[in-house]
Amino acid sequence: MGTQDIQPPIVQFAQLDKLLALGRANSLWPMTFGIACCAIEMMATGAARFDLARFGAEVFRPSPRHCDVMIVCGTISNKLKPVIQTLYDQMPEPKWVIAMGNCAISGGPFVFEGQYGIVEGADKLFPVDVYIPGCPPRPEALIEGIIELEQKLTNWRRWPVVEVE
Amino acid sequence: MQTDNLKHNLTLIQGVTLQDIAYSTKGYSLDVQAKAESVLQVVQEIDKAGFFIEAITGVDWLGEKAALKKEADDKAKAAAAAEAAEGEQQPSLPANESPVLQEDEMEIVYDFNHYTSFCRLTVRVRVPRSNPRLPTISSIYPGADWHERETHDFFGIKFIGHPNLIPLLLPEDSDFHPLLKDFKA
Amino acid sequence: MSAFLERQTDETFVLNLGPQHPATHGVLRVKLLMDGEYILAAEPVLGYIHRMHEKMGENRTWIQYLPNTPRLDYLHALAYNQIYVNAVERAAGIEVPERAEYIRVITVELNRVSSHLVWFGAFVMDLGGFTPLLYAFDDREHILDLLEELTGSRLTYCYFRFGGVSCDIDDNFITGTKIFIKRMRERLKMYRALVTGNIILIKRIKDNGPISEEMCRKYGATGPVARGSNINFDVRKHEPYSVYPEFDFDVPVYSECDSMARYMVRMDEIEQSLRIIEQALEKLPDGPFLLPKAPKVVKPPKGDYYQAVEAARGSLGMRIVSDGTNNCYRLKWRSPTFSNLSLFGEACQGMLLPDALALMGSLDLVIPEIDR
Repeated sequence: MGTQDIQPPIVQFAQLDKLLALGRANSLWPMTFGIACCAIEMMATGAARFDLARFGAEVFRPSPRHCDVMIVCGTISNKLKPVIQTLYDQMPEPKWVIAMGNCAISGGPFVFEGQYGIVEGADKLFPVDVYIPGCPPRPEALIEGIIELEQKLTNWRRWPVVEVE
Repeated sequence: MQTDNLKHNLTLIQGVTLQDIAYSTKGYSLDVQAKAESVLQVVQEIDKAGFFIEAITGVDWLGEKAALKKEADDKAKAAAAAEAAEGEQQPSLPANESPVLQEDEMEIVYDFNHYTSFCRLTVRVRVPRSNPRLPTISSIYPGADWHERETHDFFGIKFIGHPNLIPLLLPEDSDFHPLLKDFKA
Repeated sequence: MSAFLERQTDETFVLNLGPQHPATHGVLRVKLLMDGEYILAAEPVLGYIHRMHEKMGENRTWIQYLPNTPRLDYLHALAYNQIYVNAVERAAGIEVPERAEYIRVITVELNRVSSHLVWFGAFVMDLGGFTPLLYAFDDREHILDLLEELTGSRLTYCYFRFGGVSCDIDDNFITGTKIFIKRMRERLKMYRALVTGNIILIKRIKDNGPISEEMCRKYGATGPVARGSNINFDVRKHEPYSVYPEFDFDVPVYSECDSMARYMVRMDEIEQSLRIIEQALEKLPDGPFLLPKAPKVVKPPKGDYYQAVEAARGSLGMRIVSDGTNNCYRLKWRSPTFSNLSLFGEACQGMLLPDALALMGSLDLVIPEIDR
């Protein structure tokens, strides 16, 4: 959310803003930007057992112009850097980024001294809102990440925290 | 049989040495050492015998010649010391005139396999490390096109006559060769 | 690009099938020279997920490299575990207990079924049918439950060790697998009726994307791509490894050379894998699952070694060059998808764009395996 250059409106309606935030949170449209292994877990989250549709986020749009959240799942290589930056710039405001998996957070298992090929983390390129650790993170972790993002938008968490029995 | 025919044809090419290998120890059955000039002839024979191309890769033998020379020097010294300890004679000067250290080499390894016969053959070619060049085989096996581009990416080996020797896996404008042993990021 | 510039006329345009497209194949970019909707020339551009696996092989010790292996092709991760472990065991002369070999075969074949299910769902989704994806992923979740209880991970398994596997299978796993095999056979009947017999699918993929035998040989294509073109080549029968000679299974080969043939090969392979798993469960011997003194420091003798294994996508190969120390000198992955994709440039000339995408789907691509 860091590149928000939106001028705040001159007359502000608190209730309307709350309604808009609730609407945005409940219908996040992710972009199909599966790069590597985490993409399969993202597909599994959208599939029948874990069902991301319950949270409104199953409409994966291929075009960045239609999306509001980019889920970066996979390692960003140096060759992919300009591509992913273009995609981020093409998304209209307001937009958010979820870094899914260790590679998107900090380069993951591919960081070694003298590495020449990858970018160590998506936050070196653009601001990230939610980090989901794991290699790959479970689909439940991605759902928790979406719920965290919804909480960030609306300032209240509508779904209960999972209790470990 | 096919492979016997092939082996016979390969021995006719100049500069080629063949070696039968036990498959259970190494995973391939025939080892062919060739020179850079005779690569095309070798691969043409292999193509006639109906093999398919599995992989092409390179190995950087930096420091191999120095290690071999050190081994030879150590052996010579040990032999001279043993000689001196045995007899009472004057120890003869070891015959290591320290020849000029030979240049290190890079090795290009081709793997071919057959769909029906049980024979994986490996062709090895050595080229000098400072000027690694050899002819392309992509006119015989179009699949070699990408393998050679990748080998060029990683080692800087030039394949003469290749239609499109631009980086395959590295960014288009890269000028470094990461799998060389003296590569620093 | 020079091939394009020569052939461009006023009537043609260049279309970029960019690195970001619906997340089934990964980040592959294809430059297409189009004449209306017909493709004149295609050039795949790779490297967008190059993760330096071969360089990492040289930086790490033999045992530290194990977690890297499943991340090459995460859909059939256990085969990549298997090839690495087999190659080093052969080089260093490490024996594997029989029970461990049987467990390896069972888990690799289960993983093969789950990889083919992902391919099946993604392929039909590429052609426009979204529903089989949900069914296939549901079946796959059952396999993932079994393997998760055993290995601890859902996708990138690092289960094999030098000298065996890291933990034993228990009765829960065996019963669960038997229930799954029964269920999967019922589901295969449903897929045959609803999907394979579907007239729209048949019209899309029959006679689509012909790949001749000679083309397969020149490009080195293996796996279902070659078996759909009348080439009877399966590493499990051609160069038997592990305990595969003990099992009785067929290798499906079709001679039509089109996308339908490649589709049928993979569907038949699921059934054959189920057969292998059944036989392995029956014949499972008792004994240790890991060598009592499993080595942590491995030093294969100097030299180079090659190992081949049948992965879901084709003949996977690995060449290791060892210099006798605890680090590998050079590690080379022979990726089956790399060779399979290299024939796309020639095979799709003159096709309509949607047909070319059907051909690409039938090649079963996983890009991180190509880019390593």
